[in-house]
Amino acid sequence: MSLIDSLRYRWRVLTRSREHETDLAEDMEFFVSSAARAQSDASRGAMGAADARRAARRRFGNSTYYREEARRVSGLTVLDELRQDVRFALRTFARTPMFTAIAVSTLAIGIGANTAIFSAIDTLLLRPLPFREPDRLMNVGLSLPATSQGRARDNFVWSLPKIEAFREAQNVFSDLTTWLFMQFTVRVGDEALRISGEFIDSRYFPTLGIAPALGRVMLRSEDHIGGPQVVVISDELWRSAFNGDSAVLGKSLDVDGTLFTIIGIAPPGFAGVSGVAMFWLPFISPPAAWGIANFQNPDNHSFFLIGRLAPGVTPERAAAIAREIGPRIDAQFPQTGPNAPRFGIAAHPLDETRVDEQVRRTLAMLFAAVGMVLLVACANVASLFLVRAASRRREIAVRLAIGASRGRLVRQLLVESVLLALFGGLASLAVARVGTQVIYAARPVLWGGQSQSGIGTVTVDPIRLNLTALAFTAAIAIGTGIFFGLVPAIQSTRPTLTDSLRVESGVSSRSRIARRLSMRDVLTIFEIALAVVLLAGSGVLVRSLAHLVAVRPGFEPSGVLTLRVNRAPAWSRDSITRFYDVAIDRLRSVPGVASVAIADCAPQSGGCTGSEFNFPDRPGAPSQSAGLHWITPDWNTVMHVPLLSGRLIESTDRKGTPFVALVSETAARSFWPGDDALGKQIALDHGDTARVVGVIGDTRFRGIQRRPMPEVYMSYYQQPMSFRMMLHLRTKGDPATMAEAARRALREVAPGFPVYDVATLEQRISGALGQPRFLAQLLSMFAVLALVLATIGTYGVISYSVAQRTREMGVRIALGATARDVIRLVVGQGVVLAFIGGTIGLAGALAATRSIRAWLYDVPPADPVTLVGIVVLLALAVLLASWLPARRAASVPAVEALRGG
Amino acid sequence: MANSDAQKNELLKGTLDMLVLQTLSVQPLHGYGIAQQIEALSEDALRVEQGSLYPALERLQKKGWITSKWGESPTGRRARYYTISAAGRRQLGNEITSFDAMLVAINRVLRRT
Repeated sequence: MSLIDSLRYRWRVLTRSREHETDLAEDMEFFVSSAARAQSDASRGAMGAADARRAARRRFGNSTYYREEARRVSGLTVLDELRQDVRFALRTFARTPMFTAIAVSTLAIGIGANTAIFSAIDTLLLRPLPFREPDRLMNVGLSLPATSQGRARDNFVWSLPKIEAFREAQNVFSDLTTWLFMQFTVRVGDEALRISGEFIDSRYFPTLGIAPALGRVMLRSEDHIGGPQVVVISDELWRSAFNGDSAVLGKSLDVDGTLFTIIGIAPPGFAGVSGVAMFWLPFISPPAAWGIANFQNPDNHSFFLIGRLAPGVTPERAAAIAREIGPRIDAQFPQTGPNAPRFGIAAHPLDETRVDEQVRRTLAMLFAAVGMVLLVACANVASLFLVRAASRRREIAVRLAIGASRGRLVRQLLVESVLLALFGGLASLAVARVGTQVIYAARPVLWGGQSQSGIGTVTVDPIRLNLTALAFTAAIAIGTGIFFGLVPAIQSTRPTLTDSLRVESGVSSRSRIARRLSMRDVLTIFEIALAVVLLAGSGVLVRSLAHLVAVRPGFEPSGVLTLRVNRAPAWSRDSITRFYDVAIDRLRSVPGVASVAIADCAPQSGGCTGSEFNFPDRPGAPSQSAGLHWITPDWNTVMHVPLLSGRLIESTDRKGTPFVALVSETAARSFWPGDDALGKQIALDHGDTARVVGVIGDTRFRGIQRRPMPEVYMSYYQQPMSFRMMLHLRTKGDPATMAEAARRALREVAPGFPVYDVATLEQRISGALGQPRFLAQLLSMFAVLALVLATIGTYGVISYSVAQRTREMGVRIALGATARDVIRLVVGQGVVLAFIGGTIGLAGALAATRSIRAWLYDVPPADPVTLVGIVVLLALAVLLASWLPARRAASVPAVEALRGG
Repeated sequence: MANSDAQKNELLKGTLDMLVLQTLSVQPLHGYGIAQQIEALSEDALRVEQGSLYPALERLQKKGWITSKWGESPTGRRARYYTISAAGRRQLGNEITSFDAMLVAINRVLRRT
């Protein structure tokens, strides 16, 4: 009660101070006039009005004087002074625009960059998943030990029979749901949209704890083979394709040519576990259409599995149980063959698996880097304020001497610091906004082509500016500024003002200056060291990127357009090769197209498969794994992969003729060491054998970072195994400009089948280089920033000390020192700072680069080129930072300096 | 004159807030009314100056013990009326209690010397 009244009063003083003041004046005037009237009445008219007023004044005191007292109590005086302080601070800023600009932008960048990175981390790693009790959800995957073909995995997809067996065997999950996501073609009106959807079972929504916003979800009773074809659509699809019309329930949605009845709308923002789903289909109902329908096959590994923990079961216990059940399930479904994998089962909290480990580590690295930038920024602000406070000691001493109160002075300096910090904070908002947008735009790049791994792509929310992070980093940076602005302020307002006045006029008490300098020196050394660490980190990343760019991938990526055509689900293997024959012929006749081929995947963009190969010629030899590709005759022409010996795949290698294969140089060497590969037999793991007819050049299929692996190429026309083929067009001009012509040509031969996933091969490859490039750019930016800040810091410290030593310089020059001597003296000071900072920094740099070894290609963490480069760069920066003040010192006329600048 | 003023002020210093609250606890008053009331009740022994009264009024408002509002005086002029709040009444009670305790203590001391 009293609090509210009290706050109301203070609020009024603060916001309507003028009104409050006139009220006070009027009230006191009323007092005086009432008193005057009383006097006049008492004298029964003997007193004139003026006399009565005077008497009242005498009796009750001078109201003008006392009003000040009342104003002070109410807080109005403080407000006045605050206004003065702000005006004074603004004038000071205007007088020192360089200092102001540097301090503000340093704060802005330090705070802004940190906020942006933290916002990304918060969105991707920290914010809870948008499901009910997300910490009770676990991702359950099959696990595979590491083989020659790849690293160990524990989020491998399941087959339905194994899922059923697991469901029976376990008792730690109260609910388990099966799902997978795919790209589909959805027809709305005349438009064909290529969008992502998820195949789910009826337990999906209950397990996640998501209720539909409208309508219903799939029922358990519908969850059987031949069940109704129903679909739940996302809020986004509902609004964009159906204008949010609730009459859409009961209508049908055309998905890849099959009609599904819309039964429900998901709540806004829900995009499934994949984070990209626009609708949810029961996978059980549309038989055969999507090639996943072989439900009874225990080796049809297509499905992800998510479980909700039963009450009272800890995630650790569930993981232990899953691990224990693993071998039993595997034993129920034994695979034949010498290299048959032994599956285990691994359960991880869904939250842990939502972002790929690589992305997680990348974000952690960026956070560390940006944290260093913040530290450098803080150190810089601190040393700026120290230098500034020191350079104003004389002004402060003068003001104290002419009667300013100490508290008032400190307050004024505090106002200045706070104001400066406020400007920095505001500017940082803009930096953070831009930074967040950059990171959001770079999201696919950050993912680094990992998006094939299903659960790893949970991207639930777009990355938004995180205000908590902003407040946090702003508090740190601003707090630093205020602290370092205030401590010297309090020190310099200590009552020993005569000392201050004297010292500043030139009679330097050396010990004192030395003590003050050391604080600034330490800050500068700290800045330099951090800048060196960042420079080393970005240096090795840039070098690594340069190596990657220089890698010859074994094919010619420029001048190739790649695209896919949606197939008709009903096509048989025969009709599909006939379709591609027609399509290739038609595309070849497009002006500007040189040659056309198809392959099951483009290099370095994921989706390639591999196989185990046996060698009938060499019984008993261990099987070896290699990449397996299905290509058509012109593939080598399109890709510029050279033939080394034998022949290429020809158009006569069709269905019915003996299987032929090409092997890569590496495959030839590792399959038949010291022997000629031509004419040898290889057997695929399902038994088919083929004769090697040619050896071709190595191609880096798995990624530019990976050494060439053994690759085997077979004729697609002999065995059209895969339905998802990619057309490759070698063009004469810029391939990007050919996209429309290719689209048109395909529309002629395949009307109604959407062309999608159109990209030049270079775009796909640069996507593969995207992450290293993004990291190198971002880290370089941070490093340059840190270097610039450190240079500014060094400059500030040295020019300050030069200003302090003007007199000393004058004496030296008067005694015969040359300009060169003076310059050497000043630059020497910078060199000492750089040497100490650089040495500390290099030690830190070695540790830092070792920790980012995983991102490096062909560059040792302690890369001599990088380290030498840093030393040179640092030397240049320090020379620059100390050269300007040194010149100033050397050009001081001796007389002026001696007179006492 | 100066001396007697000082004595009066001295006496008022710690207790003015309490006296203002006391006068307002009877009825809302304007500033001059408060001064008059205190003078009248003390039989002219206590004189309230503007210089002490108005800072006190601002202070009491700041604490939330009184509130102010413009109104009309009996003579028809615009005057600011001060009203005691519930918190002010509690405060007044506390002050009187401790003032009484202090008076007793002082009296004890005086009797002994």
